[in-house]
Amino acid sequence: MSEELLAPLAGKIIQIDVKVGDKVEEDDDALVIEAMKMETPIYIPCDGTVVKINVKEGGEVEEDDVLLVIE
Amino acid sequence: MRPYFEKMPEFGTALKKGQIKRGEDNTLRLKEVEGEIAAAVDVIKNAGLPEAKINARGVMTVWQRLEYLVDPGTWSPLHMLYNPADNSEGTTNVIDGLGKISGKWAVIIGFDNKVMAGAWLAGQSENILRVTDLAKRLNVPLVWLVNCSGAKLTEQEQFYANRRGAGAPFYRHAELNQMGIPVLAGIYGTNPAGGGYQSISPTILFAHKDCNIAVGGAGIVSGMAPKGGFDAASAEQLIESTRHFKSNPPGTPKVHYDETGFFRYVYEEEKGVLDGLKDYMKDIPAYNPKFFRVAEPAEPKFDIQDLYKLLPIDQKKVYDFDEILARLVDNSESMEFRPDYGPEVYTGLCKVDGYLVGIIGNRQGYLGKGYPEYADYPGIGGKLYRQGMIKMNEFVTLAGRDRIPLIWFQDTSGIDVGDTAEKAELLGIGQSLVYSIQQSGIPQMMVLLRKGSAAAHYLLGGPQGNDTNAFSIGTAASEVYVMHGETAAVAMYSRRLVKEKDAGNPLEPVIEKMNKVVEDYKTFSRPKYCAKVGYVDEIVNMDDIRQYMKAFTGSAYQNPKSICPQHQMILPRIIKG
Repeated sequence: MSEELLAPLAGKIIQIDVKVGDKVEEDDDALVIEAMKMETPIYIPCDGTVVKINVKEGGEVEEDDVLLVIE
Repeated sequence: MRPYFEKMPEFGTALKKGQIKRGEDNTLRLKEVEGEIAAAVDVIKNAGLPEAKINARGVMTVWQRLEYLVDPGTWSPLHMLYNPADNSEGTTNVIDGLGKISGKWAVIIGFDNKVMAGAWLAGQSENILRVTDLAKRLNVPLVWLVNCSGAKLTEQEQFYANRRGAGAPFYRHAELNQMGIPVLAGIYGTNPAGGGYQSISPTILFAHKDCNIAVGGAGIVSGMAPKGGFDAASAEQLIESTRHFKSNPPGTPKVHYDETGFFRYVYEEEKGVLDGLKDYMKDIPAYNPKFFRVAEPAEPKFDIQDLYKLLPIDQKKVYDFDEILARLVDNSESMEFRPDYGPEVYTGLCKVDGYLVGIIGNRQGYLGKGYPEYADYPGIGGKLYRQGMIKMNEFVTLAGRDRIPLIWFQDTSGIDVGDTAEKAELLGIGQSLVYSIQQSGIPQMMVLLRKGSAAAHYLLGGPQGNDTNAFSIGTAASEVYVMHGETAAVAMYSRRLVKEKDAGNPLEPVIEKMNKVVEDYKTFSRPKYCAKVGYVDEIVNMDDIRQYMKAFTGSAYQNPKSICPQHQMILPRIIKG
């Protein structure tokens, strides 16, 4: 079973804390989106393994874009 | 109204593993700043002569007097780092705060008799006026520990005269008396001239046997008739009269107890004066707390230490304000007002020490799709938009009607700007909030959690509301500035950069100036500076915020000037719907 982590808001990815293959736990740091001069941290939604990361540091995302996938 | 208040909806969640881990570094950073503040406070506490030297004279220090006078666990100091005139002594030379004496809240202030025997210094009258205003806002007694040697004569031009100078507090004492607020004064040591009026202007005077109060002290009486200069004969005369007045100063209890009767009581022991004050405080008008409490006092469900992990010291990081609040109010319960409207601010009723309070606080982070509703751009917490400002206007007005004291939590970057925001009337609604706060007439306290910036800083219950704000406290994360330093540097130098570029001149000198602006903004916005100049009345540790909320709430309900019967309140009914 896989779970997608969606961008809650549009902005710029300024930090990615995980890489593909990482074992993660719910509420671990996933990445940080900067928008409107504020940094919004995004957290891992469930325990599992990161199987896909769709974004790069410095890249822009739109609201509801899939940021990464956890299996 | 028991069904409304005894058990309100619970809120807040326990820290998750990730929050605990992430919060460790933040805790260290906050505690580092708190350590710097504590070190600065220690310097003030140890200013002047050592305690042992004062005690060797058979005299207690102001700190020993306070410790004996104030009920344990209730002292909530204010203005410890306040030094607006940048005195070399590092202090305005008065120590003040809220505390209970014999179970009753009072505003308490004393001269630091270790520093120049409690002299008047620059900035001191501003400090005293803040304190008399505090007693006025909260309608609680003002208790003085007078021990004032008079003006520091080498700097008298800085504070002796003027509208808010050293004479103004005597008028404030008169004003408090007119309002029915007693000013009790324990009097120690030598109090000439200004010190004499510090002593005589309160309501009831409790004197130590070795004190004296006078229009002019020994030094002045010895040289009252200027002769155009000094010579050997006049020096000899001066020596003789000084010796006389040193052993027989004007205004001892022999005159002011036996003859004039100004002193209501005279005590043999220093502690006797304090016992006298304690005894009087027992009889000060105060409601039994049960008159106003809406529930039994209860601690928050969550550990207050969590605050160190929940409030990011990094100003750019967002956080959940509701989780902060859940660590500060009784049993982590709240009745939120209009939760579906104006998401950038929390407004609601909570309990502090069993008393009902209104809470208003900036929420942080992304505000969701379609908000603000009048714009095509997204909204972010910390900023104020139309709905949030209308909601605060409503809440303050209703709390005023129901006579519920307010506690504000401020962390704001400003009000939404631009023509779209102007069309949404934000300028007008902001000033409406100022009107609502002023009109409410209820005591208010402000906690500057993090940022106070732009015009929004004026709207959120802070010290600018002279008639409503009792006091404001800051944290290790507090910052106050009109705008961010980099924004200011751009506003000041962007055109200059264009000019220099067009003229083919090097840009480095302008860039250097811009960076200087950024550095200055940092220096002049940090917690220690905020406390020094009085942007806040005290910087407090995160885990002490609730203590100040309790001091404020208990004081506000001790003897309020007006009452709304609980069963006639309308705000809780509106919340319930």
